[in-house]
This record gives sequence, C-alpha cells and structure tokens, in this order.
Amino acid sequence: MEIEQEKRGDVLVVRVLDNRLDAHCADEFREEMAGYVANGDRSIVLNLSRVDFVDSSGLGAIVALFKMMGQGSRLAVCGTKDAVTRLFKLTRMNKVFDMFDTERQAVHAFAQS
Amino acid sequence: MKKMRSGIRAFQQAVDHHIRYSVAKRWDEASAHDRYKAVALAVRDRIIDGMLATQDRYQSADVKRLYYLSMEFLMGRALGNNLYNLGVFDEVSEALTDMGVDLEEIRDSEIDAALGNGGLGRLAACFLDSLAMLGMPGFGYGINYEFGIFKQVIDNGYQKEKPDRWHNKDNPWLIERPDEACIVPVYGKLERCQDAGGSETSIWGDWKILVGVPHDMPVVGYGGGTVNYLRLFSARSSDEFDMQIFNEGDYFRAVEQKISSETISKVLYPSDSVDRGKELRLVQEYFLVACSIRDIMRRYLSSHETLDVFPDKVAIQLNDTHPALAVPELMRTLVDENDVPWDRAWEMTEAVLGYTNHTLLPEALEKWPVPLLEHVLPRHLELIYEINQRFLDRVSVRWPGDGKRLQRMSIIEEGDPKHVRMAHLSIIGSHSVNGVAKLHSELVKSELVPDFYAMWPEKFNNKTNGVTQRRWLLKSNPLLSSLISETIGDAWITDADQLAALAQYAEDRGFHKRFLDIKRANKERLAKVILDTTRVEVNPGSLFDVQVKRIHEYKRQLLNVLQVIHGFLSLVEDGRSPKVPKTYIFSGKAAPGYFMAKLIIKLICSVGEVVNNHARAKDHMKVVLIPDYRVSLAEKIIPAADVSEQISTAGMEASGTGNMKLAMNGAVTIGTLDGANVEILEEVGPENIYIFGLNVDQVREMRRSGTYDPRHYYEAVPGLKRVLESLVSGLFSPRDPELFRPIYDALLNHGDYYLHLADFQPYLEAQTRASEDYADPSVWAKKAILNVARTGRFSSDRTIREYADQIWGLRPALSQNAATVTKRRRAV
Repeated sequence: MEIEQEKRGDVLVVRVLDNRLDAHCADEFREEMAGYVANGDRSIVLNLSRVDFVDSSGLGAIVALFKMMGQGSRLAVCGTKDAVTRLFKLTRMNKVFDMFDTERQAVHAFAQS
Repeated sequence: MKKMRSGIRAFQQAVDHHIRYSVAKRWDEASAHDRYKAVALAVRDRIIDGMLATQDRYQSADVKRLYYLSMEFLMGRALGNNLYNLGVFDEVSEALTDMGVDLEEIRDSEIDAALGNGGLGRLAACFLDSLAMLGMPGFGYGINYEFGIFKQVIDNGYQKEKPDRWHNKDNPWLIERPDEACIVPVYGKLERCQDAGGSETSIWGDWKILVGVPHDMPVVGYGGGTVNYLRLFSARSSDEFDMQIFNEGDYFRAVEQKISSETISKVLYPSDSVDRGKELRLVQEYFLVACSIRDIMRRYLSSHETLDVFPDKVAIQLNDTHPALAVPELMRTLVDENDVPWDRAWEMTEAVLGYTNHTLLPEALEKWPVPLLEHVLPRHLELIYEINQRFLDRVSVRWPGDGKRLQRMSIIEEGDPKHVRMAHLSIIGSHSVNGVAKLHSELVKSELVPDFYAMWPEKFNNKTNGVTQRRWLLKSNPLLSSLISETIGDAWITDADQLAALAQYAEDRGFHKRFLDIKRANKERLAKVILDTTRVEVNPGSLFDVQVKRIHEYKRQLLNVLQVIHGFLSLVEDGRSPKVPKTYIFSGKAAPGYFMAKLIIKLICSVGEVVNNHARAKDHMKVVLIPDYRVSLAEKIIPAADVSEQISTAGMEASGTGNMKLAMNGAVTIGTLDGANVEILEEVGPENIYIFGLNVDQVREMRRSGTYDPRHYYEAVPGLKRVLESLVSGLFSPRDPELFRPIYDALLNHGDYYLHLADFQPYLEAQTRASEDYADPSVWAKKAILNVARTGRFSSDRTIREYADQIWGLRPALSQNAATVTKRRRAV
C-alpha cells in the first residue's frame, strides 16, 4: 500500500494514498504504523482524504494503532470523505480520537494543545 | 368525448411503445404477461408525473412526513386499483378493447404483491391508500421480499406450500433507486476504549456490511392529485465487501457471502412461525429499521441544517413490535452519529415514534434472547440496557421499593437466557401506544400492560382499524358501487360517511330487488371461481356463508365446522332440512408449522368431501375451501357473501378488518363480542347483526376460576356429543378414523382452550336466526342494505384522519386544484 509521511514539528502526518483501507491492506498498514510508533512518534495525524472506502478491518487497524500508541499519545484523523466519516460515526470511532476536516486544522490543533 | 378519444389513442401509443421497447416483442406475439407488463408500464408513465409533482409539492412546503414502518404490506394487485384511482378505468378498458384484448384478462395476469400474512399487512396497504387519497405525506417502508407469503395448494385435502414468486425483480410497479442505497452494519463486537477525554467508551468493530437498495411502488390517491409511494428495501451484498474476499482469491466464498447477504430480503416469515430466536428474522427486522432511519435522516438533512425541528417534520409509526429496534437505532443515530446529547435525543425519539399494538396473545409478543441480540447488534444491546436503566430509575422514583413492578416493567426479562421484550421497548420509546379497536385498546391497558398504563395513561389511545372503500367496494364490487352512486351520488368514494344516505332505501322494495340482483350476480361470479378451483358446483341461490381469514384456533374455523357437521347430521340422520340451502365457504392459509391449523383445513375439506357428495345433503348444503386466499381472491369472495363469520373467542381478535369489508359489501355478521365486532354492533344496530356467545369478562372468569368443563357441554348440549364422536368415527376419514383425534382431544381432553363447546349452542341459535331471516328476502335485504349504509365509520380514511390529528400531527398537502375542489365540496 502507498503511504506518505511528513514530519511537522512534533507531529507526524501520515497520508494514505490508496483509495481503499480494507482487509486487503490492513495488515500492511498496521505494520507500517507500528514502525512509526516504535520510532517514538506520539502525535500522529492520519490523512484519509484520498480514501473512498474503509471496511471493518481497516477501521480495526486504526483502532490497533490507537491502542499501540498508548496513554499520553495523540491520534487525529482528517480529511475523511462523507461515506468514511459516516462509518467512523456509525462505529463511534469519532468518540475515541479527534476528527478534523483538513490536515492543517489537525496539525494546528495539536500545536495548540 | 373528443378528449377521451385522444386519451385513448395516446394510451395505445404508450402501450405500443412499451411492448416494443420495454418488453421487446410485437403485440401479436406477446404473451398475456408481456401485455400486462406493457399496459402496466404505460399506466406507470402517467403515475410518475404525479409522483414527481407530489414530491415537489412536499419539498417546497417543507411538510411533516409520516413513515409507516411495517414488516408486511399486503398490497394485492396494483393495475386495476391504479386505474380506478387515476379515474381512467373506462378509457383504458376501451383502448384495450380496440387493441383486441380484454382489460380483465390483462388484470388477471398480474400476480398479487403478497408481502404479508393477513390483517396487519393489509391494514398497512389500506392506510397507504387513504393517506394518498387525503393528500397526506405518508410513506410505507418495508422489505422487498423475493418470496411473499407462500402459495397454498390443497392436495387431497391437505395444505401444501409452494413458493410465491411475484416478480420483484422485474415488476413494472417497482422503481429501483440504487443512488439512494444505504449501508447497514450488523454483527461484530464492542471494544472498550478510552475516549479523548479519558472516559470509558466503546467502539463497534468487526461488523459485516449489508446494502439496502430502495424500490419505490407508487401509491396513487383517488383522483390522482397525490402520488405517494411504498419504499421497499432489497438486501444486497456490498461490492466493496465482496472485493476483499475476491482479492484473497476465494471466488466461491465471495459468492457465498453475496448469497448470504441477499438472503436477508429473500422470504417473508409466515406468522405463527416466527420462531423464537430466528436470527434471520432479527436481521430482517433490523435491516428494515436501519434502512428506513438512514433514509429518513438523509431526506430530512437534505433540507435542514440542524436536527432542531426533526420531530416537527418526521413521524414514524411502528406497525406492531417488528420494527421496535427503531428505538435504539434512532437513539444511536442521534447520539453516535449526530452528537445529540442523550436527554435531547430521547426527547426527540419519543416525540417521533408511535407504536401500534396488534395482539394480546402472549405467545405472539416478540422477545429476543439477549445473547442473540448481542451477537447481531452489540451496540444496540448496549443502548437498550442504557434506556432500560434510565427507565427503571424513573419507575423507582414513582414506586419506591416495588421490586416486583420493576421486574414486570423491565425491558429485560430475567431467565436463562435473558430476553429483550420488544413491546416494552416500543412503549417506552414512543409517545403514543394504540390498540386497533375500542375493546382491544381497553384490554391493552387493563390486561396486557397495566403497569405501563398506570405510569403513562396519556400515551394510550385507540384507533379502530378501517379499510379502504375504494378497493373493497368501488373496485371489488363494481355493480354495487354503481347502484350506490346512482342512488346517492359518488361522494361516498372519498367520504364513506355518505353511505348513510342509503338507509332511506332500506325498506324500498324496488331498491331491494336491485340490491339482491347484484348480490346474486356476484355469487354467480364466485360460483364460477369455486368450480374452477375446487371442482365443486355450488348453488348461487343458496345462502353464501363466508369465513375468510388465516386459519388459527382462536379464530375458530373449527366452531364453524362443528356446526356444519351438526347441520349435516341433523339432515341425514334426523331428516331435519335446513331452513335455507347453504354454501359454507372457507378460505385461508395456515402457517406451515402449525399442526392444528393444518389439520383443521384437512377437516374442512374432508367434511366437504362427504357433504358435497351425499345424495340427500348436497342439494341443501355444500362446503368448500377455496385455495390460496389472497387479496385478489378476497375481492371476488367478499362481494358475494351473505353471512360473515367473525366468531373468534372473545378477547383474542384485536380488531379484524375482514369483518368490516364484508359488512361494507352487505354481508350480515354472525359474531362474538370481540375486536371490532363490538363497534360493528354499535353502528349497524343489534337487529342487523347476530351476536352470540361468551363475552370477554365471561371468558376471563371461566379461565380464571378453572370452572370450564368441556365435558359438561358435551353431555348437556343436544347433538354436540354426536358431532364430536363423528370426528373419531371415521365418518370423515374412513381410511384413518384416528386422523382427527388430535382435534377431538383438544376439545374434550385438553381443556378446549378456545372454548368452542361453551359457545356451540349459542352459535347454533345465531345460525338459525340468520337462516330464518334469510328465508325472507325483504327482511334480509333490509339488514344487508343497512350494513352497507352504516359501515362508513370503518373506512380507513377515518382511521388515518385520527392517526394524523392525534398521533402524527400530519396535515394534508394538497395541490392548488385539489385544495380548491375540496373547499368547494365542503362549502356545498
């Protein structure tokens, strides 16, 4: 799967460049993210603006990332399209981590906190 | 006339177009079904304009909409009904005659949309007709079952079930709306997490996705000014979901997954066999609720920025507890997806939802095992627990220390496993709880849920059922409709109270003759149907005694059969001929797993076999069971009935609507004081109905005290012993004299729960009174005419007005033209 990363101060921005985050690529995504967490990244903004479809495995991988990061870490998701946003809300994942419309807003929010 | 000619030509062109370009055939080589399809599509073209205009009207006025959620809609055939409601029946008939076909033949090619079991589903269909006639923004929401209620075949007197294919995939009345499909997650598990603020919360993960694709069936209001629709959801597998399995290279598993998802809308469950714990049924119920609420929310949010006025714009009625999951689903949507605070979300949910109770039978009250609900809908179970806790807190404040009351009222029934009581969930989550007849609504308060009535008396109300006179009189009985319109004008078509004007003709001999001639013609039409379907020849001059409804012990078809046997034995053994020749007509389906009901069918057929072939009996009585009772068959039976059998054990039939249809067509009721029979008695007067038997209080007392002894009646009632012994003598089952032993035992040795024997003697007396009256045509005609004249109250238009005013807060949204006409009519 194609992922792009960029460090903005303390914040690691991860952009998923594929249009699907599903069972097909969930394991790969999880491994990739585990690498960042192992490197000590504790503030991550996940940019899903290119993703059209997330299934329960994809969402499960994001939850796994959140759990991996542990207490005191920060995870935000940004740029989700309507259908993906609906799924996040439907499964209550929006209660667990912050969601922002844009990457800029997410990074700004982390910088402020 | 010129206008009509051009209308005819235009219609013929439309049919030509569709036979060629939609069906891809030439008219001459097309089958009857092809021709039906082309005609239906040509009619549909006209309807669609009205449908779009209606939706525009609703949209621009930002009207409040009513959504009627029901697992069943027994719509029957649409073509004839749509032609009547559009006011083009004669025009289309003439157009088709010109083309060399008879409209009747075309109509006969249509398969009933039989997406229901009986009264509950047919009520929903009548309500849609009335909503559209009244110009009210009301929509049905249901499931697009591939197989409706089974087709009943009678084989050697036994019911056999065959699948009913009603062409739901290429049905001309269904408009597919793939662009409005919605996703529905099911199954999975809750995972505990901490939210951003550090509090405990849960995430719903590992779900599977279903896709609900809406199909709209237009519902044309009389006059064509309003066209609403019934939205039916088909379950499809999500392409995305399948893709992941395809990607794993497992083609067969992907296909299995697709089939398993589409199974959700495959088949309607027959009533009485909705087995406890049937996972597929639970998924079906949730599928309906989830698709409906997503769709309702989507429509609302397309024209409103916030949810502030949601309860002012949306009303949802739950047709029985089958859609009760709407309570947690609406809460979930508001709280989880729209961040509405719990208390406000609860206020909105209660304001939007109304619940109609349809049964007092404890075994028919839905309960779902907690482990199953947790497996299928983990988040919803969590919400139900939360709703229950908050509710029980309120009960504790009101009745401190009353643990038993808490247990009785809780949504969760203790046990192993625990169960979720769907009626409690529905009552707690709705602002209105209604029964469907005065008596039934009283029993809901006093017997079914008295604790809830004590807590919220203001929630409970009655809405006596009704039927649409447009299908059940105008369309199904065209001869009588014409006579009525010719005599008192046609205002009754949209205002059934006008039928009262017929009362002034109740003693008019000339009118009697015309009325009875029409009844005779309808009976001749039915006699032909009986001959075609049962090979039994019946005498249209005999009294047609009709019992048509689902076969169930509480409805007591068995009581009817017992009196038929009594009449037969009196005739052949005692030489006592009945006062008038009679044809006993039964029709109805038994649930496939309901042994006793199926045995009763066999008994009816076996008695018919003996009676109809008995040299001395056959000129005096005939007994037939017309197979495959359905809406289109009911339309032929009901106009031909002289006597309407409504003989359930008192307190067990919620309302009944067959009783209303039959009375509206001039059949005189023989009935117990049960369901809406009580109100029919009030309307038609005691001299125009034959009431007999135990009332609710007597039934209750008899059961409570344990004093009922069927053997006492067996010994004491003259002739009853002989009737019962005939069941096990082999008279009706010479090859297997023990065949009907279970019926005999149920009546005599297992307590006769439905009290057949207690009511037997009074029932015979009522039958005798009816026969004596029937023997005098003018006495009978007067009763029959007064039944037609005095059943205006049982129009579903009245019922819908009451729901709209008192529960939904719904107003008509008429077109300018229609509004002007209505005002003018009121002024006149």
